This record gives sequence, C-alpha cells and structure tokens, in this order.
Amino acid sequence: MWHDLRERLLRPLIRGPVTARHPARAPILPPAARGLPVLDAARCDASGDCVTACPTRAIALDAGTWRLDLGRCVFCAACADACPREAIALTGRVELAATDRTAVVTETDVAGGRS
Amino acid sequence: MSNVVHVPADGFAPMVADLVAGGARYRMLLGTDDRAIGGEGLAVEAALGGADGGLVRVVARLPMEDPSYPALTPAFPAVHWDEREAADLLGLRPMGHPDPRRLVLHETFPDGFWPLRKDIGAGERPPLADGRWEAFTAHGEGIYQLPVGPIHAGVIEPGHFRFSAVGERVLHLDARLFYTHRGLEKLVEGRTFAGALPLVERACGVCTVTHALGYSQAVEVLTGVGVPERARWARVLLAELERAYNHVGDLGNLCAGMGYNAGSSRLGALKERLLRLNDALVGHRYLQAMIVPGGLRRDLVAERVAALPAELDAVSHELAAAVRVVLRSDGAVSRLNRTGIVRAEGVRALGGLGVAAKAVGIEADLRRDEPYAAYGELEVPVVTAHTGDAAARFHVRAQEAHDALRLAKDVAGRMPGGGWMAPDRPTTPAVGAVAMGGAEGPRGTSWIWLRAGADGTVDRVRLRSASFANWPIVASAVTGDLVPDFPLINKSFELCYACTDR
Repeated sequence: MWHDLRERLLRPLIRGPVTARHPARAPILPPAARGLPVLDAARCDASGDCVTACPTRAIALDAGTWRLDLGRCVFCAACADACPREAIALTGRVELAATDRTAVVTETDVAGGRS
Repeated sequence: MSNVVHVPADGFAPMVADLVAGGARYRMLLGTDDRAIGGEGLAVEAALGGADGGLVRVVARLPMEDPSYPALTPAFPAVHWDEREAADLLGLRPMGHPDPRRLVLHETFPDGFWPLRKDIGAGERPPLADGRWEAFTAHGEGIYQLPVGPIHAGVIEPGHFRFSAVGERVLHLDARLFYTHRGLEKLVEGRTFAGALPLVERACGVCTVTHALGYSQAVEVLTGVGVPERARWARVLLAELERAYNHVGDLGNLCAGMGYNAGSSRLGALKERLLRLNDALVGHRYLQAMIVPGGLRRDLVAERVAALPAELDAVSHELAAAVRVVLRSDGAVSRLNRTGIVRAEGVRALGGLGVAAKAVGIEADLRRDEPYAAYGELEVPVVTAHTGDAAARFHVRAQEAHDALRLAKDVAGRMPGGGWMAPDRPTTPAVGAVAMGGAEGPRGTSWIWLRAGADGTVDRVRLRSASFANWPIVASAVTGDLVPDFPLINKSFELCYACTDR
C-alpha cells in the first residue's frame, strides 16, 4: 500500500512528465540518427553508384535530375556509403509525413554526365 | 560442414524421425524447387543440427507431376506448420497430414498457384478465388463462436482468433494468421546476397538484429568470409540490446494485456529510453542496417559505446523497480498466476522455443548451445521457470532482460578495436550450395536457410522465426482459460505476426 503510493503517486509527482513537448519543440536527435537523405548537388558527379546501391530502388538519376522516392526509402544509408564523393548525407530531418503520394518524391538538379 | 542424406519420398519421414529421436536438433522443414540449380523437380528437406553442431540435411526429391510424400507431422508434430507452408507455396503434398487446410496463402488464392515455384514470377497477380476459410470449432449445446480480429483495437498486427466458448470459458481457439504475407522469400530470389539482406532484415520490425545476423552468418559460410574481432563483439552487443528493449517492452505489453496501466506506462517509458540509446549508438531505434555479411555496415559511435555501461546500469535499476511495482500488486499477480498454462510435454512436441520453452523448464538457448559471434567467450545464463503460466513467462522475461543488460554492459566495456568489416573478398559459392545461420532472438531461435543460385545470387531463402515456431503453442495455452484472459495470455508470449508471415 505505502509502496504503491510512493511508486505510483509520489514518484511521478516529483519527477514530472517524462514525455516531450512535441511538436511544439523539435525532437532532439542523436547525431547518428538517419533521417531524410539529402544530396549535395555541387559534389555530385552523377556516377550512379547510389542508384545501384539502393536496395529498394528508391533513387533514380536521369537527365540531370536526382530523384528520391521516400515512399520506397528505408533509410539504410547504403547510398551514402556507396557515394565515392560523399555527396549524400542522411540528415536529422525526420518529420516527413505527407498527405499526397507525389509529395514524398524529392528532386535535386545535378550537373549531369560524368566528370 | 554440412551432410546431405538423399532419401526416397516414403523414406523421408522415418529417416527424420529417427535422426531426431537420436538427438539431432530440429531446425526447419522446407520445400524447394530445384530446377534453377540443375535439378529436375521439387524437394522436401528437413534441416537438422547434428551432434557436432554441423548441418544435416535430409532431402527427398519429388517429381513435378506428383510431389507427394508421407507427412512427417504424425511422427513429429513440430513440423505441422512447415509442411502446410510447403504445400501452399510449392504444391508439395504431405499425405496423411492431420490438418490439410491452407496456412500461408488464404483461400482467396486460386488452387494450383504455387508462388515459390520457379515458373512463377515475383510480380504475378493471380485472380481472386472465392474460397472460404473453415475454422476448427467445438460443437454442442451452449457452445458459441466468438470471432476476434483480424482488425484489433490498438496498434497491433492482424490475426483472426476464433474462440469456441461456453460462457466465459474457452474450449478451443483456432488462430488464423498470415494476413501480412508479402512474399519476401519470392522477392529475394535472384537478388545478390547483399541485395536480399534489407528485405530479410525487415521481415519484421523487432527482430531485425536476429534475422540480419542469422542471414549474414549463412552468407559468410557460403562465401568463406571471416568476421573481424570488433564486429563479432559488436554483434553480441546489438543482439543483447535488441533482447533488452524487446523484453522490457514486452513486460509492459504484458501489463497492458491485463489492464495494469501503472506497469505498462512505466515499462513503456523504459523501453523508449532503450530505443533512444540504440538510436544514439547506431542511428536507428530498432538497430536496422547495421549487421551485414562480413561484419558491420558502419562502426558503432565510439563515445556512445563508452557511455553505455553507466546508462545500462541505470536502466537495470529502473527495470528492477518497475518489476517490483508489478509484482507487489495483488491484482496483477493474481491475473498472472495459473493463467495460460502450457505443459512441458506439449511445448516439446510442438517445438516451442525461447521464453515459451524456458517457462516450462526447457533449458535451450542457441547462444550457449551452439555459440556464434562472440558468445563462445561469454558466460550466457539460461533462465528457466517451471509453472508454464503467464507468471512464469513474466519472470523468465524479466530475468533475461536483466541478463541482456548485463551482457551488453560487459561487452561495451571490453569492445576490441580494429576494423569492423572483413577485408577479404567473398568467393562466389557453387550453384546449389546451402548454408544455415541461426541466432537466439528475444522470442527464441530463428533460423535462415540459404541456397546459392548462379553468380552469387539467392536461389532460395527461408526464414523460420521463433514466432513461427511458437504460435501454435499460444492457441493451446488458451484452452480452459477465460475469454477475457486471452489478451494477457497472448501478450505473455508476445509473438510477432510479420516475421511469421513473411
């Protein structure tokens, strides 16, 4: 009885809430967290290594456009590992919900052609 | 090394039954289509662990026009789902199987559509058939049917449970699963070993380390790749962190199953803490995309490894306090005790694994019995209980969670340095070469059976997860209990649907 009172009433009162004020405050993510993959177009030489490495065929590269379909991406970072110029980084952006299928396809213009 | 014994179709069941009676450990039974590796037809295969820990395969080749063989289930019931699965996916015909209904493919799939045969493409969409599922039910005066699911209140996976009950007492439960069958084993056919990994790893969300580890070990055997020291120890660390967050979360779910919110919210918060530790350590809350054939995809975050022992100590302390709260609640304890009892002989016959088996005193754990990664250099305690009820499964899980946290802490404290990926180039295995990899996950041992096709691709892979092995035991645990105790009984096993269904 006293144990219950202490553990279930007093402790939580003293400790306060353990939940975070999300979405009012952005979540604090560890640096290693893998969110939205972003391409640095200036570094990209359109080698296509990321396209080959992607296990879910989420990346396409054609006519100077790098296209990432987040509906297929599993955030494994195989693209970033495969890129010889380290042009892809998985960022801390994790709030990626959309109300429309086309909105989860991102496009980046790249120089196109091999350097 | 692996041993292959070829037997005629009618010699298959007696041979496997003999070997198992002689001490061979059952791993899985599966069907295969051998035409892509130079064979002429189908085959049924039992994969066993021999006395030296090596793989023993008993194979019976079956002609395309009549792939029937006398079923093994009557002599060795642990294979009853495996045989039904091979019948659904490859059209094998286990003659004399006591339950010849569909298992994996629901009745909406047409007759004669066997997706794992090589003449069927992965993208093929068969027409909808209008077959109806028939439940096994009890009949008699006052007995009624209570259908539950497949859609449930709460964020859980789909499964249909058909209770035959008298008043509140359950006479029989027939569970229908495989609503989340995605055809993963078909999808990975023809992929490279590396290309198949992300799908195998994601067969479910909560045993990703276990499945990636089992698969990677099978690939490493096939391609002759050694794993560097640091990766071997990191694999143990990841596997124990997976066990810890699962067990802590499942203890919370168990409380939710009996409506004990003080326990479920506190243990739920503690699980969240472990998930955040995972995220900081490897960049993923559920530890995905870390284990690859040859080692690790990336190194662990070094400063996080150094911080782990202190953090895991704090989690252990909080876990002990939370478990004490639950066990001091008379209401919770009276719900747990003598609920959902299974007996050792039943669990043994059905081939139960992990917590389900340990809670009836079956002392088996792959980490200790057939050590892999760095487990051979660690003392792995195997926790057992004897009452076989929800309370026994609660105790086993709580103790195993503590042990997992301690093992993870030990390993984090002695993590060797060096490379995390094998430097040697993998060799291309011979077409038709077979290897298995196993790992002890939070729900028991999961096995991967892998066969190479041409040019280092996957010809066939089968994942037999611990959940697959344990589901039939859940159904048997409910008999004689009250209908409202089913959520608690189900949660006391806390099995996964997705990796059962694949």
